[in-house]
Amino acid sequence: MKFSISSAELLKQLQLASGAIASNPVLPILEDFLFTIQNNKLHIAASDLETSILTEVDIMSDANGTVAVPAKILLETLKALPPQPITFTVNEENLAIEITSAYGKYRLAGENGGDFPKIPEPDAVDSLKVSGAALSRGVTKTIFAASNDELRPAMNGVYFQIDFSKLILVATDAHKLVKFTLGNITSEVSTSFIVPKKALNLLKGALPEKEDVEISFNKANVFFSFGNVRLICRLIDARYPDYNAVIPVDNPHLLTLERVGFQNSLKRIAIYANKTTNQVLLNITDSSLTVSAQDLDFSNEATEQLSCTYEGKPLTIGFNARFLVEMLGVLESDDVKMELSTPSRAGLLLPVEENEGEDILMLVMPVMLSN
Amino acid sequence: MDAFYASVEQRDRPELKGKPIAVGGSSKRGVVASASYEARQYGVRSAMPSMTAMRLCPQLIFVKSRFEVYQDVSQQIREIFLDYTDLVEPLSLDEAYLDVTENKHGKASATQIAMEIRQRILESTGLTASAGVSFNKFLAKVASDINKPDGIKVITPAEATPFLEALSVARFHGIGKVTAQKMNRMGIFNGKDLKQFSEIELVKRFGKVGRYYYKIVRAEDFREVNPNRIRKSIGAERTFSEDIVDLQEMKDRLTQLAGIIFQYMKKADNYGRTLTLKAKMPDFKVINRSRTFSSEIRHLDDLISVAHELLEENRTDIDRVRLLGLAVSNLMKEHSGEGIQLEFDFDY
Repeated sequence: MKFSISSAELLKQLQLASGAIASNPVLPILEDFLFTIQNNKLHIAASDLETSILTEVDIMSDANGTVAVPAKILLETLKALPPQPITFTVNEENLAIEITSAYGKYRLAGENGGDFPKIPEPDAVDSLKVSGAALSRGVTKTIFAASNDELRPAMNGVYFQIDFSKLILVATDAHKLVKFTLGNITSEVSTSFIVPKKALNLLKGALPEKEDVEISFNKANVFFSFGNVRLICRLIDARYPDYNAVIPVDNPHLLTLERVGFQNSLKRIAIYANKTTNQVLLNITDSSLTVSAQDLDFSNEATEQLSCTYEGKPLTIGFNARFLVEMLGVLESDDVKMELSTPSRAGLLLPVEENEGEDILMLVMPVMLSN
Repeated sequence: MDAFYASVEQRDRPELKGKPIAVGGSSKRGVVASASYEARQYGVRSAMPSMTAMRLCPQLIFVKSRFEVYQDVSQQIREIFLDYTDLVEPLSLDEAYLDVTENKHGKASATQIAMEIRQRILESTGLTASAGVSFNKFLAKVASDINKPDGIKVITPAEATPFLEALSVARFHGIGKVTAQKMNRMGIFNGKDLKQFSEIELVKRFGKVGRYYYKIVRAEDFREVNPNRIRKSIGAERTFSEDIVDLQEMKDRLTQLAGIIFQYMKKADNYGRTLTLKAKMPDFKVINRSRTFSSEIRHLDDLISVAHELLEENRTDIDRVRLLGLAVSNLMKEHSGEGIQLEFDFDY
């Protein structure tokens, strides 16, 4: 079996697919790309059993067949080659692969493609289409809030809630929560599932700006398809917490201020905060917000004053500065609103302006002050 | 109490009086839990492997420990303490801080109270105790070691400065062997040398504990005697009579240990975010592995599965063990001085 392809085009597809390969996979063959050649098309697959990426590229081939190719050595070879046409020759007896470039020959040992685990097919799925750019924004704005806590598997992913005309993405680690709503969707069904972080990080890097993405799903898997790429992921089999129940409906104190100025102030003040709690204090009165922190262990402390508009009773409330900085960082609006109630209840963080057809709500629990 | 477990054994078995004895296992895996003063003359110390102790003192007599008896004695002395004040902060079974500034007997002299307590301990338990009397916890603790055994040391406010200036840093409570060596390399051998360094310099060199050093050498210690001491960790460990090589058996032992510490956590209603696995190899090399979660481990199943994962993480390192231990730290009650990150009230 023999085929020719542009090294740069192949490298581009392999770099995308390689994201699915785990650093220490359970099966040795999962360190390989699966190459399937069919009618002058090369289908590339990579998987860690949970997340798989399929992509394809046109080639010139003399036959159909499959072979598993060690990923690391192939990627390194292609990265080291200036763009040029290269030829693969696969010895079907012993699966030896020979690559020919303008400079010479490189030989590596392939494995039997038939041993590569089966990648799930989109059987009995429902589907919807969303814009790649909007999905990318939704994932970027939620994924940071998901938990790494293995004891809470449901929170290790982003919750996709499809409600006929809306797609809602939710992520939380029980301390902070983001709910992103994308309107103008058409779906035949109303359902929900949890997609693991790893797959979404890969998706985020691969999503097209200008094309639509088809999201298909069944009980076990979700399939994201766009262009020549399909990303397949096993869903997290757990019950997502009832997040709506913790979104406060009556937070009477309303703080409005400039987003970037607030974020930069928090970054400076956080340098002086206790390193384990990152606790900063917001002291809010009529027209000014005082941001302060101290680390008693090292006698460090810092205070800044920011202008704001505030409707409500004077309030002192503590937050983890890192959470606020991250949350402010994914918002785009020039000004943001915080809706607060008491120092021990969740605060809402909202943008003043939103993108058309999108709606974002952020929620953060305070740090309870000790005295 | 002086050589506590050993003294209890010598009290209950008169034939052991005046002899070098060690409480603990004499097997090749044993460790000395307590050594009598006769044994200490040979260099036998607590926490020393029994084999080493026997080499130092061939006539050493090993006695099995009887923790129920020590606990009873501990309870007896505690009742004597509580007769004087409720501000009793136990450090171990046989040691405690007492704040007698205001005491139930209305006595003005702490020294007088210390002498009475030592006398009453001797009468009711037949055992000797040593006391340190001063105006803060640090000085009282240091003082209690000065005239051991069966002694008392008083450090008055006027005496504190010359006493601390002359005291070797290795004898400061809170400065361990390694820190003392580090200080020696910096030219700090006694309290007077330590005083030459500013607070900022000490914090730079030693981290936040530098502040504590700066204060104690000036006899500044405002820590209260706290009858409810805050635990930093909850743990348990077992040394096995034979090395364990079988993975399933190691896992079973970890399951038992997890059960034990979970009971402690539950009883104290104090859960932690970090689990540490300790494994001691046949060559005494110790491997510690830990994992920290963003929230407390509240279920026994989680504790067991994390313990097993830590063990299996890299099996090639832990293929043969003489000891396994588990400890939970980052306890929620430890952090009560700092702000507490609240959580959404999800109905899981």
